[in-house]
Amino acid sequence: MLQIESLSCFRQDRCLFKDLNAKVLPGQALQIVGENGSGKTTLFKILAGLFEEYDGRVITAAGSLYLGHRYGVNDQLTPVENLKFLLKLNEIQLAPGLLMDALARFQLSAELDQPCAALSEGQKKRVALARLILTSARIWLLDEAFSALDAPGRAVLSEVCQAHLASGGILIFSSHQGIPEFAAAAQLRLEVGS
Amino acid sequence: MMLLLRELKIMLRSPAGAIQSLMFSVLVIALFPLAITPDPDQLEPLGIGLIWVVTLLSCLLAADKSLAGDYADGSLEQMVLSDYPLWWVCLVKSMAHWVSCALPLLLMAPILGAMLAMPLDRIVWLMASLVLGSPILSLFCMLGAMLTVGLNQSSALLPILIAPFLVPTLILGTQWATTGGEAFYGYMLAALLCLSLVTLPFATAVVAKIAVSR
Repeated sequence: MLQIESLSCFRQDRCLFKDLNAKVLPGQALQIVGENGSGKTTLFKILAGLFEEYDGRVITAAGSLYLGHRYGVNDQLTPVENLKFLLKLNEIQLAPGLLMDALARFQLSAELDQPCAALSEGQKKRVALARLILTSARIWLLDEAFSALDAPGRAVLSEVCQAHLASGGILIFSSHQGIPEFAAAAQLRLEVGS
Repeated sequence: MMLLLRELKIMLRSPAGAIQSLMFSVLVIALFPLAITPDPDQLEPLGIGLIWVVTLLSCLLAADKSLAGDYADGSLEQMVLSDYPLWWVCLVKSMAHWVSCALPLLLMAPILGAMLAMPLDRIVWLMASLVLGSPILSLFCMLGAMLTVGLNQSSALLPILIAPFLVPTLILGTQWATTGGEAFYGYMLAALLCLSLVTLPFATAVVAKIAVSR
């Protein structure tokens, strides 16, 4: 479960959001909606535990995985090395076959032995997203995870997210593109200058 | 261990940073006799101090680059969020910084010493002082890098911020080597190393949390 209670945040004397309330139960998705600069990324950082200057309460009852605009893929390492590192950060050790399968699911199999510098932005993002298939985190915080992906990539990500929800996971995401699969998800709206 | 291996792998695949700081040091040592005097009697007393200053500067100059990549690609955020203790992450980053800046210089020290006409026993003391002293430089540089990472003028701010903290190490290190191993300086340097090892990674970890929330 993830619960937000009267959450307010100020940055540089500007009120980003005030008195947010939300409750997300296992198996539910929550979309964070708002214009550029309305504080979506700050909200994600607060939920992930990266940003601690806020009023109110955030209650999380499970481990979370945060993927932001910068998602931790190093240019010098190959996709497999990157994925292995990101998983080991949460002490997940896996057989190489499973890593390959996860990368293949995101249509990365031809690029596995070259450094990520040679990959396109969308492909690098897929490397980071492959982590979702293998993680044990129950709360996913995906800040603009659907951007920079092509249509097949978005389709795979939606499938993975739906499987996560079906298994009782929690999904918090933001997206400027409409994601038809999650059109019915609850929304939390942030207003600029509220 | 896994973190350290990753750092070393990244370093080996883009060795430009390590090579650049080594080239800087070797060039300074090579140009110094040309600009001042080639006379061995005048050069020899300068050797220890010169190599120490060059080590300090190359550590300082490479510091901001050692974190910039991890900050820009988001790895730093993921490391802060990881299950690893953050002080360990910071200690590993300091070790990686030491391997890329100080270790090459330490290995080159016999050649650099010979270029400055230093006799063998002084070169040995120089290397001993660098073994004890240079890790302190790396630990402080990592603290400075973490404080300034993500700021606009980080490369300008960092040396001003951190250089004063490196001065005690410089004094103790050079004195220890120049006096040929006088116990007082050696003990002080070793004590400073122990103190830095047990405090600075924790301080850097606190600063890392602030860095990722910017």
